[in-house]
Amino acid sequence: MAPLQKRALYSLAIGIVWGIAIIVVFIAKGGVTAYTEDTAMRMIVYGLLIGGLLAYCIMMATLRKPGQVDERDKLIMSRAPIVQLWAVFISLAVWSIALTEIYWDQGQIPVIFPYLVFMSLFIVNVLAKSIGILIGYWREG
Amino acid sequence: MPNTRVKNRIRRLRFDHNEMTQEELANHAGCTRQTIIALEQGKYVPSITLAFQIARAFRVTLEEVFQYEETSK
Repeated sequence: MAPLQKRALYSLAIGIVWGIAIIVVFIAKGGVTAYTEDTAMRMIVYGLLIGGLLAYCIMMATLRKPGQVDERDKLIMSRAPIVQLWAVFISLAVWSIALTEIYWDQGQIPVIFPYLVFMSLFIVNVLAKSIGILIGYWREG
Repeated sequence: MPNTRVKNRIRRLRFDHNEMTQEELANHAGCTRQTIIALEQGKYVPSITLAFQIARAFRVTLEEVFQYEETSK
């Protein structure tokens, strides 16, 4: 397995655990209402978000060593944004439809949702990059 | 993915060079072992730079390693 492929696999695993951890904290602490009022909960979620991002960056930084990534890896990496684009686009569509349907009668969406949309897209973006790289290796053989 | 029209003799040349391992060739050519595997299986066509580096690792000309096959439609 190529070093980049290994990192993509680990990143996917970390990303899934990371996403689940944020969702679990969110649900366990009381959901959207609590998020607006509970500063401690917000800090935990932000901590998880930044921690996950740092873990991802540190893992990808180890690829900077010579001989870790070659032209084929770079080609595969350059194609991964197509998966990222679609994943973000679909996530945005799901968020837009869900929020519109749920809050149609109120005529307004709680202010906290842009944060949640941003955080979810952030996680989806990282996961989709790893998936894009893994698809690239699978297709290239 | 279909095989490309650029064929190569990397596997043959490795064996002709004291059974050079894929890892050794990758180190000489400056790529990963997985790329050498993909090249030998005909699943990847290298850039001109990597092609020259591989030829240089074997001390042969580019065309002794890579051949472009004309195929009729």
